[in-house]
Amino acid sequence: MERIDATRARDHLAMVERILAESQPKLCAGGEYFLIWGIGSAYVTLLFTLANRGLVPSAALWSGPVVLGFCVLFSILRGRSTRRALRASLVQREFFNVLWLTIGLAFVVNVGAYRIFAGTASAAIWSVAESIVLLYIGMHGNRRAIVAGTLVIVSLVVANFASAAFVGYILAAGMLVGYAGFGASELLARD
Amino acid sequence: MDELLLSKVRLGVVAELLNFDWVAFSELARSLDVSNGNLGAHLAKLVDAGYVEEEKSFVNRRPLTRYRLTKRGRDAFAAHVSQLQSLLEPAT
Repeated sequence: MERIDATRARDHLAMVERILAESQPKLCAGGEYFLIWGIGSAYVTLLFTLANRGLVPSAALWSGPVVLGFCVLFSILRGRSTRRALRASLVQREFFNVLWLTIGLAFVVNVGAYRIFAGTASAAIWSVAESIVLLYIGMHGNRRAIVAGTLVIVSLVVANFASAAFVGYILAAGMLVGYAGFGASELLARD
Repeated sequence: MDELLLSKVRLGVVAELLNFDWVAFSELARSLDVSNGNLGAHLAKLVDAGYVEEEKSFVNRRPLTRYRLTKRGRDAFAAHVSQLQSLLEPAT
């Protein structure tokens, strides 16, 4: 049986400490997801708000599922490319689980329970899902995500007390500023 | 002591994989500064022992081999590092 002396043990431990220090898990959220989903969800929210007020023809509502479909397609293609990464951290995997779970649930609830969560309630679900994702990223030390998540929540609270005519606009603004804005800031901070 | 982890390269591989889901062979070779042949031999031993899982795929028609730590490997690493630390305790 091979033996190890104190000098070699110290050398091995020093190497382990160095490797672990250099490989501290970082959560790289990837701004594209937030930008695409923020704009997509804000667009759908605005579209339904404007259609309800008769400001756009109801035929335009078909563009909503098309935009959401594009967001889903983009996410799938982007997800495939990250699977080819040379290094994929455990934190990153956990983040994508949270992202897919929340956005997926919001999507399923919107499609499957549209009678319960009709109109602005449907948009509010997206805001809740988006704030969960942002605050989760914030928990991993990203201050911009905390600010963005808080903005989305604030938009929900403000919308709750606002006149019914403005609810959709306020929620859409929260999605744009909070979610898409966070995505843009991540992309700008990348380099 | 875990004999498999007494090798500095194998211990380094397990430490490299600790915080990651998957790490490519090329990344491990670069980080640990070892030759491909040497690293391949050490990785084969870790895979055989069930400490490390191997995944082979093709990306843009090029082969990509990635590795990740199994629960068995993680437990073995924790126990081994603890034993190394206890070995140093009387001396400090």
